[in-house]
Amino acid sequence: MATKNKLGDLMINGFGTASGGEFDQVSINGKGTVNGDLQCHFFECNGSGAVNGDIKSEIVKISGNAKINGKVYTTDLKVEGRGVIKGNVLMSKMVISGTSFVDGNVKGEELKVQGKIVVDGDCEVEAFKAEGQFKVEGLLSAETIEIYTYGESRAKEIGGQTIKVKEKSNFLLNLLKTVKSVQLEADLIEGDHITLENTKAKVVRGNQIIIGQNCEIDLVEYKETFKTEKNGYVKESKQI
Amino acid sequence: MINDLISKKDLLDLTSISYGQLYRWKRKNLIPEDWFIRKSTFTGQETFFPKEKMLERIEKIQSMKENLSLDELADMFSPSVGDVRLNPDELLKRNIVSKSVLDFYLAHYGDIQEFTFERILELYILEKLLQSGEINLEEGKMVLQVLNDHYKEGQSAHSQLLFIRKLGISSCLMVSNEESLHFEKGTRVVVVLSIATCTEELKSRLL
Repeated sequence: MATKNKLGDLMINGFGTASGGEFDQVSINGKGTVNGDLQCHFFECNGSGAVNGDIKSEIVKISGNAKINGKVYTTDLKVEGRGVIKGNVLMSKMVISGTSFVDGNVKGEELKVQGKIVVDGDCEVEAFKAEGQFKVEGLLSAETIEIYTYGESRAKEIGGQTIKVKEKSNFLLNLLKTVKSVQLEADLIEGDHITLENTKAKVVRGNQIIIGQNCEIDLVEYKETFKTEKNGYVKESKQI
Repeated sequence: MINDLISKKDLLDLTSISYGQLYRWKRKNLIPEDWFIRKSTFTGQETFFPKEKMLERIEKIQSMKENLSLDELADMFSPSVGDVRLNPDELLKRNIVSKSVLDFYLAHYGDIQEFTFERILELYILEKLLQSGEINLEEGKMVLQVLNDHYKEGQSAHSQLLFIRKLGISSCLMVSNEESLHFEKGTRVVVVLSIATCTEELKSRLL
């Protein structure tokens, strides 16, 4: 065990346990546990780490496997490995290329999903971009929402200004489609400009709506324009 | 305390705001989470809002967003209060409180040179009640005591202050959640004041 506490850095290489506090850099490289709240400039977990408390750090980078039993406040959050966060996440920018589970709400400026994210609460950001899989149990809300359907994605409600869902296809995905659905599913989608592909939704409401290929919508309510393209299927539509 | 609800669709029609704006304001906490009331209807779930509060809030946002950024607006509507400290002269200068009410307050609490937001709010409420002529000075002390003992920042955000009177005997109470209250026949409810509204009014004056 090597727990060094020099110049305000906390490093756990190998097995180690430390208590929280204020640091410049915190780095967990082996199997480390931190008991208590952490406040630092840079947090990184390359091995298997657990933090039993909140993290307040300018940069949070999870490349290994991290479990945070608390909240995370940061300007820059990167998950390249597997991150489990039990509390809320407040960030400016969040990029998920690994897998991430958040039990609370996610709030911030920008969220980019290239891997997989599961949010049990609401996800409210300014710009949301997904090229992977996501699941939001509450409301997914953003100024601009851009989704490329690569895997099975789901949100209970989606709301924002511009909502765009595009279907991606390549050989492997087409193969996968025969055994598994790779659609976006939502109960309710509301926005000003909505363009959907490969989406299954109960209700879609907005000003300008385009329903594209492989869509299955029960009800569309629109204010200005509405059209369907290719094999987009809409059971019922009405202008309000 | 009347729960008159309006559906999201009707609200957007009535106020001619867009979905994008509504969601943006929600994200910025300009509209509190607990105003979004979900109810199941025949088309599935729909969202409803308390009509009067919502219309008032939207009007305020629309009239003020020209001068203030959304973040500044959010600060104003948030129940948490910033770090404000004012001395008695400034309070008078900004017309938050009148000289006579301030003197009464100082006579009651002793000489205070610096007023925190909490105290300014107390003063503001006292001023409001006394100036409206609905309560007298002696009753003002009662209001102060209730506010002083039971007002806690953050927790009292949705509280209401009630002032009642029966056969000349008056009493004052604070209700923390908006449930219906029922009084005895002869009781007259003199004032119902929402702490949140007062906080907002006061903040807009302090800005």
